[in-house]
Amino acid sequence: MAALRSSASLLLGAASRPALRASAAVPAAVRGMAQVSDGQQQNMTASGDKPKLKTFQIYRWNPDTPTEKPKMQSYTLDLNKTGPMVLDALIRIKNELDPTLTFRRSCREGICGSCAMNINGTNTLACLCRIPPEDTAEMKIYPLPHTYVVKDLVPDLTQFYKQYKSIKPYLQRDTPAPDGKEYRQSRADRKKLDGLYECILCACCSTSCPSYWWNSEEYLGPAILLQSYRWLVDSRDEKTAQRKDALNNSMSLYRCHTILNCTRTCPKGLNPGLAIAQIKKEMAF
Amino acid sequence: MRLSGLQKEVLALYRQCIRECRKKPEANRKHFQAFARSEFDKNIKIDKRDFAAVEFLLRKGRRQLDMYSSPGVKDIK
Amino acid sequence: MASIARSSLLRQVASARPGFQQGVIANATRATAFHTTARRDLLPPLPQRVEGTVNDAAPIPEPSPSHGSYHWTFDRLVAGSLVPLTVAPFAAGSLNPTLDAILCATILIHSHTGFQNIIIDYIPQYRTPRARKFFMWGLNAATAVVGLALYEFETTDVGITETIKRIWKA
Repeated sequence: MAALRSSASLLLGAASRPALRASAAVPAAVRGMAQVSDGQQQNMTASGDKPKLKTFQIYRWNPDTPTEKPKMQSYTLDLNKTGPMVLDALIRIKNELDPTLTFRRSCREGICGSCAMNINGTNTLACLCRIPPEDTAEMKIYPLPHTYVVKDLVPDLTQFYKQYKSIKPYLQRDTPAPDGKEYRQSRADRKKLDGLYECILCACCSTSCPSYWWNSEEYLGPAILLQSYRWLVDSRDEKTAQRKDALNNSMSLYRCHTILNCTRTCPKGLNPGLAIAQIKKEMAF
Repeated sequence: MRLSGLQKEVLALYRQCIRECRKKPEANRKHFQAFARSEFDKNIKIDKRDFAAVEFLLRKGRRQLDMYSSPGVKDIK
Repeated sequence: MASIARSSLLRQVASARPGFQQGVIANATRATAFHTTARRDLLPPLPQRVEGTVNDAAPIPEPSPSHGSYHWTFDRLVAGSLVPLTVAPFAAGSLNPTLDAILCATILIHSHTGFQNIIIDYIPQYRTPRARKFFMWGLNAATAVVGLALYEFETTDVGITETIKRIWKA
């Protein structure tokens, strides 16, 4: 089935190229729409596939009418005309079906962390989450769990960012570099930062953590603790003791009970659970 | 009349808004008061048992208060 | 916008690695089944309260190692020491009242800190200070009662290891 699909998409890709070239002459403002309709026609004629319909159930809530309860709205798309990722589907829904649908997105390649949402029960980035091509079941899309919703799929991450600020996520150092140039680091020391600096603060892990659901005011949550560890192990940072002191209370760090939902859900494949365990180990005794 | 905790919170927020108005320049104080009043009037019809809506509006109101109470804001239309 | 152009490109890239794609999807469905929560919550978390304005950092609590790192280390030591203490009577094959008493005390401390953790988790000081105090004192009282009972049991009756042995063989 996968092979079939890819060959069909290859056909589609080849067929849509002339259309693209033709539309390049059209002014920029209408280019997008022209492309979509061209693509649809091309698709009908070139591949002749029967439409692969998929229904997306999306959480909707409008802050302008706060008395209305949040509801799930269904949108049906033909997957043959949609990109492979959930974000492509969302963008298509917003463009063609319902312009009022609201979500955050920016880079569409998993580096900005804007499009974090709960897809089929798992927190992930919509731009990194494939629409399963085989199964025809509905996809359910919610905003990140246990966050205040700003609108539709947009969560309020105020507390998350405030907590990030509280761990002082920047290099703290008093002594100047010995040669007066940049602060140097050995290869081994740099290697310690691998798996930590890649975190994009999408809040997928923190909002999947039951401990964080209950104690988000005081417990920092996996994402922030991962960042905290990133600065604790940095060989150039000189305020390690102060950083540890800031975590040394019953709430900030020790509400982690190694549930490991964070590691399971991380769309970047990082391991916040391990980072927290390392902090605990370093702070023991 | 006995007020519920949520109702008290709403009243406290309104009082705080009016108090913040006093920190604004004399001439524009009326504008701020009228604005605060109109913001509360907009949602006066909401049922007091609709907790989700009232809590959301409270949060929104607090955020608005934070923004408008900054000393940079001198006048409001 | 321009999704057609992008999608064809992405699909070509993706089709080069169908195995990877399948693996990811299988993973996703498995995780889904695991994460689905019941609609009706038994004890829903209380609403979050944000202190200060958007641009302030979240407050940093005072460092207190006795509630933080020392507490955690102590917890682990107690939990770790329970393993040899449980095995010892079987390994030795004989009963030692002192060992039995130490086992009792360790279990008591272990369960006390365990319950403490549950209370700290679900009854946050920050939002429900009074309930927190009530439950903490309730736990202290319960631990004291159980401690007293175990003491009586150890001194006047046969002791915990012997009891389990008898129940096992009964």
